[in-house]
Amino acid sequence: MAHARISAKLPPDIDPTKAAIAFGERALPKLNEELQSPELLTRQRALMALCDLVHDPENVYQAIQLGFLDNLKYLLLDHDSTVREKTTEVLYIMASHNVGRDGFIKYGVIPALSQLLNDPVDICRRNMHRAFEIMAELPRGAVGIVDSSLISSLVLKLKTELDEIQELILDTLSGCLCIEAFEALATGAVSILKEKLTHPSVAIRSKAARVLLGISVPLEGKNIVWDEEVIPVLVSLLEDSDPEVRANAAGALMNATITTQGKYAALSADAIPPLLKLVDDETSKVRLNAIKALTMLSEAPEGRKTLLNHVDLFRGQLNDSSEAVSRAAKIAIKVIEWKP
Amino acid sequence: MLPARNQEAMAAAASGTYSYCSRPRALPARRRYREEEPVRYANLMYDRRVVRGNTYALHALPWVGSPDPLEIQRQREAHRKALARKRAKEQHQSRTPEPVEGRKHVDVQTELYLEELGDRIIEVDVECQTDAFLDRPPTPLFIPAKTGRDVATQIEEGELFDFDIEVKPMLEVLIGKIIEQALLEVMEEEELANLRAHQYAYEELRNAELAEVQRLEEQERRHREEKERRKNQQSQLLQKQKETSEKIAARAFAQRYLADLIPSVFSSLRDSGYFYDPVERGLYYFSFFFTGSIVQCSLYIYF
Repeated sequence: MAHARISAKLPPDIDPTKAAIAFGERALPKLNEELQSPELLTRQRALMALCDLVHDPENVYQAIQLGFLDNLKYLLLDHDSTVREKTTEVLYIMASHNVGRDGFIKYGVIPALSQLLNDPVDICRRNMHRAFEIMAELPRGAVGIVDSSLISSLVLKLKTELDEIQELILDTLSGCLCIEAFEALATGAVSILKEKLTHPSVAIRSKAARVLLGISVPLEGKNIVWDEEVIPVLVSLLEDSDPEVRANAAGALMNATITTQGKYAALSADAIPPLLKLVDDETSKVRLNAIKALTMLSEAPEGRKTLLNHVDLFRGQLNDSSEAVSRAAKIAIKVIEWKP
Repeated sequence: MLPARNQEAMAAAASGTYSYCSRPRALPARRRYREEEPVRYANLMYDRRVVRGNTYALHALPWVGSPDPLEIQRQREAHRKALARKRAKEQHQSRTPEPVEGRKHVDVQTELYLEELGDRIIEVDVECQTDAFLDRPPTPLFIPAKTGRDVATQIEEGELFDFDIEVKPMLEVLIGKIIEQALLEVMEEEELANLRAHQYAYEELRNAELAEVQRLEEQERRHREEKERRKNQQSQLLQKQKETSEKIAARAFAQRYLADLIPSVFSSLRDSGYFYDPVERGLYYFSFFFTGSIVQCSLYIYF
């Protein structure tokens, strides 16, 4: 049969694993047909070629118009692991474009992706969680994830997954918690997060603290955090070496000490000295959260008494570079010097 | 028909060939299969009818009746004589053909002297025999002799095409595509990183503000509750005070009211005649109950 190639031996730099991409307009439609082919090799090669093409946003737009997402959803359940890996990778790259994210929400790709939560191959799950994480950064995407009731399964997965996938799950959760936290609380997320706070990996500690920050925004969250006695653990994290961990821990404390019982728990855990040290930290986020946490604590009479001696520290931050920090410092001084 | 045939037969007889013809006649019905005839067993090897020996020198039918011994001897003699005659004839017979009519063969010596043929090539017979057990060597490669003419040509550098110029457009396309793809991927990552940084900063502020809001809410709540409690306390206090004052007033009033209770009670009782002299009353009643209820009256009086 006549081929367009001249010789049977391919040139040395061509990638034999990729399908030949047609010219111009026909590239994506042809790949779409190849994706539906019953032959395994054709599908694999088409997916490899597609992976390269979706880095271009125009191609993503065109692909979604042509209805690629339905085919990709179907391929997610394929028997061959290479096909699933590549499909999840394509979906992950598509999710990093805004057009892709819109398409995901419209075509309901999130429930389809969630079927791979228990996939035996690591790479598939990692790509899938990456896609979820990017979706969670967008508010509509987070709504989509919450609507598909994925939060409980994600929280449960935290216990069993590998470390890098745990990081992705934690990021996804912190994005979704802005929308709704009750489901996560119901699944007992706080106890799981408390364990993660003492994990050897820095990234996991900081992300877990961030999730706790989000979880303790609603009142139930605050109560459960106090119940599970997470506050002493957070206080111990204030002295961690990584600034991210410190910032997130201070933020979580800030939210948890809004309730009176939280305040007293923090005071009994001796939170004030480490927080005072953090007011002079290099990272602005750390300073901001520390000042805010101290403000919360100074609402309690005992806290106010202790902090009256340290008002000068706050005055020093009044002229801070970050506007938020200086505002927070002003508020803190006002609260500390308030007389009933 | 007949005369023609006879002529034909005569002509045939004259030339020496044989021919026969007869009227067509129906053949008798013949049995298809041979009947069982008695088989006379005989061994071919011992059958006297089989001719033995040379068959191409035999006369046709040498056996005619019983052989006469005399006849046999005479035949043998004749045979011998014929052979001798033939031998003698052979010896005298010259190899050359018989002379033609009117000529005679004569022996002639061409040369005066007989010459010995000494110009003989010395021939030597040489034999060669390979070792009986040696293998046959392989056939040498057959390379046919070269035919034709050799012609050579050489393409010098720069004659066909100039590589540097030709390769430019191809390189541009290749590298262009690679860089485009790489740029896209880098841009994507940068975009994502920017997005994240943006979100991060926003999240910071949001968290701080959220906390502030909640704190203020909490503060409000606490103050309100405190106020409520104090108000409640105050109102309770007032309530208590009111109660106590009422109680005191009530007590004072009651005391005063009840102060002249006893004298008035006694006076009213005396007025209604409850304090009487029992003897008097007894006598009074005695006059009514004269008939005999003295015990009853005394009981009544004591009551």
